[in-house]
Amino acid sequence: MRSIVNFMVAFGLIWVGVLESATSSVEDFRQVLDDGDVEPERSVKHILAVGLVGSSIVSSIIINGRQTVILEGHEKFLDPNPMLSESFVGSE
Amino acid sequence: MLSVNPAVRLIQNALGLWSVPTVQKLVLMFFFAGITYGATGLGAMLLMTLLANTKLGKDGSAKHGISLSESSRLGGLAIAIVVIIYIAGLSLLSPYTSGLERNDSFLYIWCAVLFCCLLGFAEDIKPDFLTPSLRLGAKFAVLGALFWLSPQLIPLSIGAPAIDFFLSVPVLSWALVTVFAVGFVNALNMADGANGLVPGIALASFGVFFMEYGRPMDGALLFACSIFFIFNVISGWYFLGDAGSYGLGAILLSYGLLGVADGHFSAGFMAALFCYPCVDFLVSVIRRWRAGRSPFSADNGHLHNRLHQFIKLRIKSSVMANSFTGLIISGSTSGAVLFVYMVDLLPSGSDLWYGFFVLEVLLYLAGLKYLTSIQPKTQYADPV
Repeated sequence: MRSIVNFMVAFGLIWVGVLESATSSVEDFRQVLDDGDVEPERSVKHILAVGLVGSSIVSSIIINGRQTVILEGHEKFLDPNPMLSESFVGSE
Repeated sequence: MLSVNPAVRLIQNALGLWSVPTVQKLVLMFFFAGITYGATGLGAMLLMTLLANTKLGKDGSAKHGISLSESSRLGGLAIAIVVIIYIAGLSLLSPYTSGLERNDSFLYIWCAVLFCCLLGFAEDIKPDFLTPSLRLGAKFAVLGALFWLSPQLIPLSIGAPAIDFFLSVPVLSWALVTVFAVGFVNALNMADGANGLVPGIALASFGVFFMEYGRPMDGALLFACSIFFIFNVISGWYFLGDAGSYGLGAILLSYGLLGVADGHFSAGFMAALFCYPCVDFLVSVIRRWRAGRSPFSADNGHLHNRLHQFIKLRIKSSVMANSFTGLIISGSTSGAVLFVYMVDLLPSGSDLWYGFFVLEVLLYLAGLKYLTSIQPKTQYADPV
């Protein structure tokens, strides 16, 4: 029983980083749509969730994904559909 | 150190499970994981700690040549779980679409990686479950099928005229790359004999791939390998196991070939990045053949075995001697390539990387010659 709880805690903590990365990614696409090219934000919550190295990795993934979307088709990127996240195609 | 001990004892009492040195290692591991990757790093570290303490996949003392303690062979499984959680979560919650969903080549690559992992995992759970020839045949079949279905993974030229001739004929290039691929996966498995050696090579390689491409999959692999590297170097409780070395071998091989075929990296760059496992594999095969033994029989004549023996005579802690061995070798080969790539001393597509590779080979041979009188006394020692 104790080990099951430990595994659940481990998965939960990893999920914190997944949620933070996904949220940052979606927010970035929305911000870029509204304000043009912006640097991904690094708040205290963000650093606590993904750490110092992880923060740089998440930023690189977001910027690279954004560039890929721009390169692969403006029409999808500029789509004003509120279901924005579903219309994007990221990198690998 | 005095100020650390009360805190360590407090944690030990709270957990009531481990000795003081064990708790000290845990504190150090979780500290580094937390600093580098925050809550996610702590979660991945906790997952690896829990998996290392399960009875499944335990490796007996001295089974791995250098290691003198009972360790887990589930390192590959731990890395796979972390990567799958991250990529699945990102696919579900963000605009990210993984490569295997939208690109046939990546789909075939990941199918081959999965098969290699499962092949190794069977061996990790039940040693000698599959005969060596069956495993070798299965690797030939899987990697052969991969290159047959994705010929774009095969480079058209690597800058060596003799090999370029073979690469220009489709069937010959397929056969040549398949043989090389099986050899590479086996070489990485053979090199997995010191803490932080193969994880260090994988970490440097994924660092290079992530900086070049910025793909989320590379980021997830970099994250999982970093945590495993910290865990492996500090505690020595884990091996990659066959699942990890076969799986990472297949990923690094595919990414490397794709990078060379696309022209982002020169073949010399990849040779320098993966110098140690490849050269050690070739030298080991030649050494055994000259001694009249099977080229694939296990022994402790590798450079990392000899270097470990040399360091062990000077350092009390067997775990530290083991970890220093891995760090020195991975740091002076793949780590040095990562450094040169990061500071942009040489472009990744330059053929001058062959010169770097030659330097690494000379360093390897000089090390082997210097340490040649040292023969570790374990079950795999060469007959005198």
